[in-house]
Amino acid sequence: MDDNLSTKVKSWLGVAAIPIILWTCVPLLFILAESLKSTTALGDPTQNTFGNFWPKDISWANYQLIFTGGAKDLFLPALWHSVVVCLASTVISVVLAMFCAYAISRLDFPGKKVILTTALAVSFFPVIAMVTPIFNLWRQIGLFDTIPGLIIPYLALTLPLSIWILSAFFQQIPWEMEQAAQVDGATHWQAFVKVVAPLAAPGVFTTAIIAFFTAWNDFVFSLNLTAQNARTVPAALAFFTGASQFTQPTGAICAAAVVVTIPVVILVLVFQKRIVAGLTSGAVKG
Amino acid sequence: MKRLRSRRRATALAVSVSMLASVGIAACGSSSGGGAGQASLTWFINPDGGGSNPKGGGQAQLAAECSTSKYKINIQLLPNSASDQQTQLLRRLAAGDSSVDLMSVDPAYVTQFAAANYFAPVPAAMVKQIKSGGTVQSSVTASTYNGKIIAVPFWANTQVLWYRKSVAKKAGLDMSKPVTWDQIIAAAQKTHTDIGVQAALYEGYSVWINALVAGAGGSIVDNPNADYQHIKMGLNSAAGRTAAQIIRKVSDTGVGGPALSSSEETQALNLFQAASSSGFLVNWPYVWAALNTPPKVPWINDVGWTEYPESVAGQPARPPFGGIELAVGRSSAHVGLAYQAAQCITSPSHQAQYMIGTGNPAAAKSVYNEPAIKKAFPGGLAALIVQSLDKAATRPLSPYWGDISTALQQRFSPPNNVTSKTPATTQQFVLKVLNGKALL
Amino acid sequence: MSAAVETAKHASPQKRQRAHLTDRAKAERSLGWKLAGPAFVVMLFVTLWPIADAVWLSLFNYRLTDPAGKTFVWFQNYITALSDPLFWQTFVTTFAIVIFTLIFELIFGMALAMVMHKIVIPRKTLRTIVLIPYSIITVVSAFAWTYAVSVSSGFMNYWLHFITAGGFPLDYDWFGGRWSSLFIICLSEIWKTTPFMSLLLLAGLAQVDSSMEEAAQVDGATWWQRFYKVVLPNMKAALMVAVLFRTLDAIRIYDNPYVMTGGAHETTTLSMLVSNETITRVEIGMGSCLSVILFIIVLIVAAIFVRGFKVDLTSSGGN
Repeated sequence: MDDNLSTKVKSWLGVAAIPIILWTCVPLLFILAESLKSTTALGDPTQNTFGNFWPKDISWANYQLIFTGGAKDLFLPALWHSVVVCLASTVISVVLAMFCAYAISRLDFPGKKVILTTALAVSFFPVIAMVTPIFNLWRQIGLFDTIPGLIIPYLALTLPLSIWILSAFFQQIPWEMEQAAQVDGATHWQAFVKVVAPLAAPGVFTTAIIAFFTAWNDFVFSLNLTAQNARTVPAALAFFTGASQFTQPTGAICAAAVVVTIPVVILVLVFQKRIVAGLTSGAVKG
Repeated sequence: MKRLRSRRRATALAVSVSMLASVGIAACGSSSGGGAGQASLTWFINPDGGGSNPKGGGQAQLAAECSTSKYKINIQLLPNSASDQQTQLLRRLAAGDSSVDLMSVDPAYVTQFAAANYFAPVPAAMVKQIKSGGTVQSSVTASTYNGKIIAVPFWANTQVLWYRKSVAKKAGLDMSKPVTWDQIIAAAQKTHTDIGVQAALYEGYSVWINALVAGAGGSIVDNPNADYQHIKMGLNSAAGRTAAQIIRKVSDTGVGGPALSSSEETQALNLFQAASSSGFLVNWPYVWAALNTPPKVPWINDVGWTEYPESVAGQPARPPFGGIELAVGRSSAHVGLAYQAAQCITSPSHQAQYMIGTGNPAAAKSVYNEPAIKKAFPGGLAALIVQSLDKAATRPLSPYWGDISTALQQRFSPPNNVTSKTPATTQQFVLKVLNGKALL
Repeated sequence: MSAAVETAKHASPQKRQRAHLTDRAKAERSLGWKLAGPAFVVMLFVTLWPIADAVWLSLFNYRLTDPAGKTFVWFQNYITALSDPLFWQTFVTTFAIVIFTLIFELIFGMALAMVMHKIVIPRKTLRTIVLIPYSIITVVSAFAWTYAVSVSSGFMNYWLHFITAGGFPLDYDWFGGRWSSLFIICLSEIWKTTPFMSLLLLAGLAQVDSSMEEAAQVDGATWWQRFYKVVLPNMKAALMVAVLFRTLDAIRIYDNPYVMTGGAHETTTLSMLVSNETITRVEIGMGSCLSVILFIIVLIVAAIFVRGFKVDLTSSGGN
């Protein structure tokens, strides 16, 4: 593509990429730098270089604090909860959305527009507004501060999203093969399992990644519907306390932030193409 | 993230923790390993100088020492600010969380929880003990709602007036007698020094306003037990206007320092520690440990302390009250054991240990006679603290104090905009907020 | 998210083909609902039910810690909220953030999309790297920027001090005033969401027929004329969808200001006002009322886009 671009333009575009990459990476590198600073270096610019950016002496104390030290009891369970809750809500919503999206894109039945419109509308409902009614119900039926009590509201974030993305993906599947299977005498169900599912797998996988990111990012539900038995990392970060009343938790927060960022960065590095396709699939089709 | 605290203060307390060794204290029960019959109690603690370190001299250490073969006390650290602590606890209590056995509750919201019926009733024997006179009066008052003891006094905080002896002398102020706000403002002006106060938009500002109003013989809320429809405010009164006038005067004369509107305890202490501006400071007793811990201020012998300033000449001052009460959750599965633990934690010997370990003053009067306490708070400071505590004015014990306080801070901020009309407009605003006619 | 689109139009040709296969059509209907039903029901339960409950609770004066004092007050809460200066202050704050971030995200996002569209050398690296902010937890982004501009531990003041050759004060407190606080909140928001914006725009750019651009070039159109007259009109649909999604998302902004300022210096947004009422003050009635108002605002904005700017959500993507 774009073979007609001159070498000059190409190299200028390459140069233009540099500030973009810097702008993207600097805040992340800074979080990493902060997490590697000792408590004294955090408040003392003379112990850091590059304009108070990078520590002269790297300290692993903050990582010790969150993995083996005082913040362990706050961080490790939160990390576990994040993983469990996000995986569970992702799996549930993708499975439900898979059937739903298949039906929407392949079958003719009344109400499919209603489903899509509803999915669109609810995904822009202010999350904070759902918290109080859910809290009120949860405290009465004992779901407050439990893993299922967080998975269910997370579906409100991941399910509408999954329905859309999957519906768009399923449009691109060569359905002739399914029809061919049906001509050969297979039922809808058999056609779905034998032919459609393998074709749809990449789209399903991409949807799962995007749904997982969305759940992983949640702050409001976790902040308000949990206390400690289901608290996820974003909310735990906001409640980190230092080693004592008088120390700031800066280092520990940054170390924890780095730890939770690593998995998503790996996902991005590995599945870059798929994620871009998933995010833009609706708009790209043409 | 309002967690900025001076590192200096941290070191000060860390060092005073090491003094713990000098107090011999026997733990209530021997903490043996977790047997089959051992119950697990969760104690929600506010962060203190000891953090979650079981040897840090704070509540974490008390939890370890008070665990017995019958129960083990685990701690859960609450966030730093009082309002975040309230949110956290309230959510659990409203959800009937049975894991809330013990909690350290700030006086700012203890009545809100009591009114909502979130606390298990205090056993009669403990009520009798609390009322028997061994506890400072302000702490008993703060643990009472609707005439009933609803929580166990743990530690009790109050403010005193810290000053430079040389500055007072230069200004010709006789510090052996009670002084008024007007007098110290004039003295600070004359000597070009500052008065450290708390006037940032936070609970500490309400503490100051409340002390000024109470010192002038008034009260912000006249009937704290009433519900929101029947509440009567006393802010729009002569006492309220006296308080407003003092705040405005501190601001207008510039004696509150350059950043009065963002001044919390730490900033006020920093002002007092800076040689050029050091004159007067109203602050909690931890100041002594902060000043007296290496690197000490060079003029440590010039530091004096006396009772909180009077709002009106001749009318006894009502110093602020703070501290923590212990409460047991209504839904706790181990109410009886939790109260046993509370009994151990609040025993005079543990209160003394905690006072030395963290600088937070005890609620039990007898503690102040202990030699170790007198040594840690020398020169009559221990006696001054207990004397101030008996006179201290609690913030109104209304279930709506959280709203009232926020409204108060907002309408009195920044201090240079406070006028004689501020109490009236604030009172009107608070009543509107409480009746759902205004947002906060 | 842009996948919202596109799907509904699919059905019609089949409908005509199968009009005579009544039994088959019936079976298809029932299978359709069997497959789509569970997802739909779950979605309704987790979203529409809380919305309905919020509407009901908004008619009460109800404080969680005082259940006995719960009274039915009709629309009193709405009257109070809409006539309260604090509500309008948070309204202004929220929309200031929305407009400011949207403008910069559009400019940066478009620039980024154009670079990504044409770039050859670090093509894959660039596409991967811009995805990272999108995938980062918002709270982490908020902490990163908070610490970056903090007076004691941040680097921003040092760098600005260096760039301006000492002109920028090292102890400048970004969180000391309303507009500087809002600026940092917007910065974090822009950093985090521009990549998403640029990917949507990139998809739009890909649809622009490059032969039209070339034709314009041959006719002697300048770069700007080609961009303004050829590229923009041809990607209008993708552009509007991107703007709509970002606007609706930005109106709900909560995580960044919560972490960065906690609402100090009049940086409280509408979502934070809701949480102050429901979570901090436990005024469930008033809080629910504010939630409903916030939802209505979202609906109004969506309606303005769909009606006013003719954004067709069901068919935009493709053409």
